[in-house]
Amino acid sequence: MKMDLEMVKYLAELGKLEFSDDELSKKADEMTDIINLMDTVKEIDITYDALKDNHDVYINDLREDVAKESLATSKVLQNAVNSNNCFVVPKVVE
Amino acid sequence: MNVSSMKIRDMRKALDNKDISVKELTNEYLSNINNLNDKLECYITVTDDLAMKQAEEAQNVINKGEAKSLTGIPLAIKDNICTEGVKTTCASKILENFIPPYNATVMEKLNSENIVMLGKTSMDEFAMGGSTQTSAFAKTKNPYNTECVPGGSSGGSAAAVAAEMCPAALGSDTGGSIRQPSAFCGVTGIKPTYSRVSRYGLVAFASSLDQIGPIAKDSHDCGIVLNSICGYDPHDGTSSHEVVPDFTSKVGKSIKGMRIALPAEFFADGIDDEIKSSVLKAVDEYKAMGAEIVECKMPSLKYAVPAYYLLACAEATSNLARYDGIKYGLRTDKADSYEELIIKSRSEGFGDEVKRRILLGNYALSSGYYDAYYRKALALRQLIRQEYNAIFEKCDVVLTPTTPTVAYRPNDMSDPVKMYQADICTVTVNIAGLPALSTPCGYDKNGMPIGMSIIGKKFDEATIIQVADAYEQGFTPVAPKL
Repeated sequence: MKMDLEMVKYLAELGKLEFSDDELSKKADEMTDIINLMDTVKEIDITYDALKDNHDVYINDLREDVAKESLATSKVLQNAVNSNNCFVVPKVVE
Repeated sequence: MNVSSMKIRDMRKALDNKDISVKELTNEYLSNINNLNDKLECYITVTDDLAMKQAEEAQNVINKGEAKSLTGIPLAIKDNICTEGVKTTCASKILENFIPPYNATVMEKLNSENIVMLGKTSMDEFAMGGSTQTSAFAKTKNPYNTECVPGGSSGGSAAAVAAEMCPAALGSDTGGSIRQPSAFCGVTGIKPTYSRVSRYGLVAFASSLDQIGPIAKDSHDCGIVLNSICGYDPHDGTSSHEVVPDFTSKVGKSIKGMRIALPAEFFADGIDDEIKSSVLKAVDEYKAMGAEIVECKMPSLKYAVPAYYLLACAEATSNLARYDGIKYGLRTDKADSYEELIIKSRSEGFGDEVKRRILLGNYALSSGYYDAYYRKALALRQLIRQEYNAIFEKCDVVLTPTTPTVAYRPNDMSDPVKMYQADICTVTVNIAGLPALSTPCGYDKNGMPIGMSIIGKKFDEATIIQVADAYEQGFTPVAPKL
């Protein structure tokens, strides 16, 4: 299946990415080849059994809620543009 | 004393007997790094000042007679493992200046033993690749031929061990990222059972597949490092409560009567003849040691690569959603609105391969495609597990080649589909959550290393180390000429 530019634009939008027209066209070609490889999974007729995974596989070992000291605000903000102990973002309200 | 060629277990004795000091040992490796890093680009960050400080602390611990297994041992750490106060870039522009405010659990464990951290090693961006050529900062070269790739994504760690720029390193393995570069660089690497090692502080790629593990000169040394990083961690909801044994406890024990499975599909067309021949020679040696070889089938292998990429990319697209240019990471200066800030920061920060995988992950999870791709991949995961379970009912370990080819030149693998297909020998292990190691079993006609993989039952790392060690005892590795 050939992946069209509209589909690539849609996937980019979902991923919060932007591409130039040239990049989009290149990505469409690459994605066409990649999806052709992924289509191999359609050749086999099997069904996923979610219940089996719940029993056999996934650990979801949640901790008890215990109050503990958290990271200091200065540490949380050390990699961000910040002011007055807050993250700074562009204005979001008119 | 040639310090750089020593195994960790010999360094331990030399340090405890005061034949060498931690400072001398650290200086030796820092000097090797200084001499070779421009040529091989193994490290993104070299932490020489920190290393000397840690060396002093470790020496004090040794002098007090309180040394643990890794006290004073210099180690390199893959740059996707958070190190408090030391840049952790994931080899991505988006994390170029990221300084973690906390340590990964594995770092807490290693620091509690007073290791010496030499630096942070290069990798494919966000661990997405098999060549270390998608790194934004250091495109590591293979020590056996600097025109070839070291493999990936833990290529910096594997090449650093091969070039004696560290005695061992931590890597991470989502679809072969410890084992494949270990094979390409002629060293040994272990991907532990999923949940054995805490993922807390490992920058997430695909959470149901990622696992941290060691790369070292041989399987015994890998076992020593693994002993120090395993165990339950309340910070990781998938961390196992399974008892952690001494992974080196079976080293040197006979493998007579052990049943080794050879799945035919791993020796089919598409695997280089020289690789097949080297692995089959190792099989003959195992027979001579008294092991029983059991031929078996794994029909699902033909679906393994697409199933892996569908699962891994679906998880990656979700994990990478956190990079918004606000809390940490690259922040564009070209945005006027909140939406624009996120889109432009991500578009400037992520490299090509990462963007491709975000697109694929979104495709697999999109309405109308979810059942056909993502859910089918989940079903294939169950099938692959079943096939391994059936093999392990009759056998103790599985033996396969680690890679279909030896290390290649970067231009020979520029097509993404070709690159994905090259993961055929490693991805089933991650999909099934099993432990596996790769260890060298020969060299091709050009002197490039060949690796074989030994896959074990869940939580049976000790047996794969035993089986690998039995072979290593009779194998003479050839060092790269640098």
